[in-house]
Amino acid sequence: MKLTRRELLKMGLISICGAVIPVSAFEVFKPEALASLIHPFSKKKRWAFVVDTTKCVGCGMCVKACKLENDVPFYADIQRTWVERYVQRKGGEVIIDSPRGARYGFTANDPQGRTDVPEDDISKGFFVPKLCNHCEKPSCVQVCPAGATYKTEDGVVLVDRKWCIGCGYCITNCPYFARFFHPVYNTADKCTFCYHRITKGRKTACVEACAFGVRKIGLLNDPDSEVFNIVKTERVAVLKPEYGNEPHVFYIGLDHIVR
Amino acid sequence: MEAGSINESVHGALWTIRELYTYPNEYMYWTVHIVVYPFLTGLVAGAFVLSSMYHVFGKEQLKPVAKFSLVFSLALLIMAPVPLLFHLTQPFRSINIMLTPHFYSAIAAFTLVYLTYMAIVMSEIWFVFRPFIVKNALEKTGLMGLIYKVMTLGSYDVSETALHTDEKIIKVLAAVGIPAAAFLHGYVGFIFGSVKTVPLWKTPLMPFIFLMSAIISGVAICIITYTVGMSLTRKFICGASIRSMAKVLSMFLIIAFMLEGIDIVFHAYTAEEFWGILSELLFQRFAFKMIVIQWVCGMILPMILLFIPNVSILRAFISACLVIIGVFMMRWDVVIGGQSMSRSFAGFLNYKLPILPTSIEAFREGLFAVIILLVAPFVLLFIFNKVLPVFTEVFTEEECKLSEGK
Amino acid sequence: MSSHAWRPVVVIVAVVIAGLVVRQMIIPKDFTAKNGDYKYQWHRASNEDEWKRMEPKHMGRDFCQQCHPDKIEAVADSGHQHVQCENCHVQFDPEKRGHKTIDLKADYKYQLDIGIDRSRELCKRCHSQLKYRPSVYTNFSKGPIPFKMIDPEKHNAGVECVMCHDVHKTGFKTGVK
Repeated sequence: MKLTRRELLKMGLISICGAVIPVSAFEVFKPEALASLIHPFSKKKRWAFVVDTTKCVGCGMCVKACKLENDVPFYADIQRTWVERYVQRKGGEVIIDSPRGARYGFTANDPQGRTDVPEDDISKGFFVPKLCNHCEKPSCVQVCPAGATYKTEDGVVLVDRKWCIGCGYCITNCPYFARFFHPVYNTADKCTFCYHRITKGRKTACVEACAFGVRKIGLLNDPDSEVFNIVKTERVAVLKPEYGNEPHVFYIGLDHIVR
Repeated sequence: MEAGSINESVHGALWTIRELYTYPNEYMYWTVHIVVYPFLTGLVAGAFVLSSMYHVFGKEQLKPVAKFSLVFSLALLIMAPVPLLFHLTQPFRSINIMLTPHFYSAIAAFTLVYLTYMAIVMSEIWFVFRPFIVKNALEKTGLMGLIYKVMTLGSYDVSETALHTDEKIIKVLAAVGIPAAAFLHGYVGFIFGSVKTVPLWKTPLMPFIFLMSAIISGVAICIITYTVGMSLTRKFICGASIRSMAKVLSMFLIIAFMLEGIDIVFHAYTAEEFWGILSELLFQRFAFKMIVIQWVCGMILPMILLFIPNVSILRAFISACLVIIGVFMMRWDVVIGGQSMSRSFAGFLNYKLPILPTSIEAFREGLFAVIILLVAPFVLLFIFNKVLPVFTEVFTEEECKLSEGK
Repeated sequence: MSSHAWRPVVVIVAVVIAGLVVRQMIIPKDFTAKNGDYKYQWHRASNEDEWKRMEPKHMGRDFCQQCHPDKIEAVADSGHQHVQCENCHVQFDPEKRGHKTIDLKADYKYQLDIGIDRSRELCKRCHSQLKYRPSVYTNFSKGPIPFKMIDPEKHNAGVECVMCHDVHKTGFKTGVK
């Protein structure tokens, strides 16, 4: 076979077109995708979480309960949920910490282990419990090369422990750092909204363990659920909305210093 | 109170030191192997482009290194994904990427890009070495003979017309290989550039930055290996070839320098929310690595050395060494530096490379594994050289002089 | 083109076909993109059930009530009404596990590790004085009450809290004033 320049060009063009058409077929226009920009509540079954930071006392019982419930070794420094302490001094300096993920709670006024922050010098302070945000558009799921992490139909993001290869791409792509490598299974691990509990009609371990009513879990599409009513009637915020992940953990009493 | 042994098994705790506020799960998850991996693929791309310069553009001066750089790029290509296997916490499942690829992920296409490129390089090598393989298959006996017989793929046709066809195919493959090599490496840049959570990585320039530094590192490693290889075998080192390579090196060096400069300036100009922490990173913590080694030693110094007219072999060799060190440092600064900045923008993570292999994890992620991975391509090249000698077409002094004028 | 030039192509095609055949053989059968959502729902469908099948471990008050109805009754009426038994009684430290082992392996596939923690550290998690702790407890069934906080360095330092306080009734122990 002899290739002239013209033929080569022709073949090249055809192969480029051939490659482009199947790729473009991946993203078909979906009207409901556009609609979701206008209506924040989807009609389909969707788990969501509410955290009322104004009530949190930083006891860390949720962290303890989560570690028990989900077989995350208690003494290992990785957490599915954790509590952060934010302290702002009168001079404006912000001190953030979460010693050992707050699994022993906050028992003294020692932000970041410092003893030079007297109580009268603190202008404001509060606790922010964190967990996986179970985003509507989870960037961690998007980047999993093997399909080992996914979003269930009811909006919970899970990891397949038998299929995960442990590349860490999902961990790197989570804006909230809700993921980590499980020291026993050696795969990516994260909060599952206690999927085994919520699908059996129970609340998550952290919600059950919280004596202060900080945490609430429920269905966003259920008009009777407390979560839906809070999201519907109160001013709630989400963490790092600029990443566009559409997180589904809603916060009451969030502050601009929260990271 | 704390059971230390459990905490040591947390992936990342061994080599991460945290400062100020970092998220509790925040460790350096992409470590030294993710530095070595783009470094090796970069060398592949550079070496291949060099060999294509001879095959496609007919740069006569590059004839002595054409075969060598082609085979070397194969050796590097085979070793390129090995750091990833060291990096994975479940290396035996790496096949899952091929079984159930998720093409929304930048990594998933890796096997496709990689294998396509591998096919191109291998077929080109086959066509380039075909006369040699056929000759040996007919002459040699025993194990080597068998190897060559298998390598002929059953075709012993070395007639004039057949060789003429080969030449044409080589040209096409070399030409197709350039975009493929560029894609392979630009794609590695894309893996980083698309991580939206790491501000230092998130730039559409990333593929091009990686590509340019890939080419300079590949050309530089060819200058070094050619010079060292010739010196060891006491053959004549052709100044014309070196100068030709040095010219390619200097041209791409300028582009790489500009791109990396634009990147930093752009970050400084636009990134209000994290420029405070980023400038601390660039000008304090990574000042020596980034400014002194990566930019001054790795780019500006070799540029000056190469732009002074009448490049000598020694000068080219020194600049090539500087470029290699600079590019490795650039990979380090990108991968480690990018993650050094806590995602809370309120703290830092420091990376401490495990030196002594005190445990499996410390070995796997440690210095010795890195050394093994960096030496392996040369060992592979040495083995390949036994089967397919790469330095058969070196110039004699006269040929070298002759090629200079072309 | 002469025949030899096609041989690498033949080899490549053979390798690709072999790869695809092997892939078909070992890929899990239930690997799907649910609802056609390849971006976010490309997964092994049976993994959802694997997660659902896990057993709850945090049992809650109803479970403990089976053996300790008196304690539950007292707590339910006190300020600690929303504090779950596990909050205080789950022990990760083997030395603190005082309760006789309850083997729940048959029913719940795990060993319940509980005991009594009398350390001040446990009570301090909620009750040590911090300026940024909410000062009113709003969740109490009898209406909002001031949240009890003490300065652990000044409030009977070195003494176990349970010496004076009955944590189940949230008051002083009988005979203590």
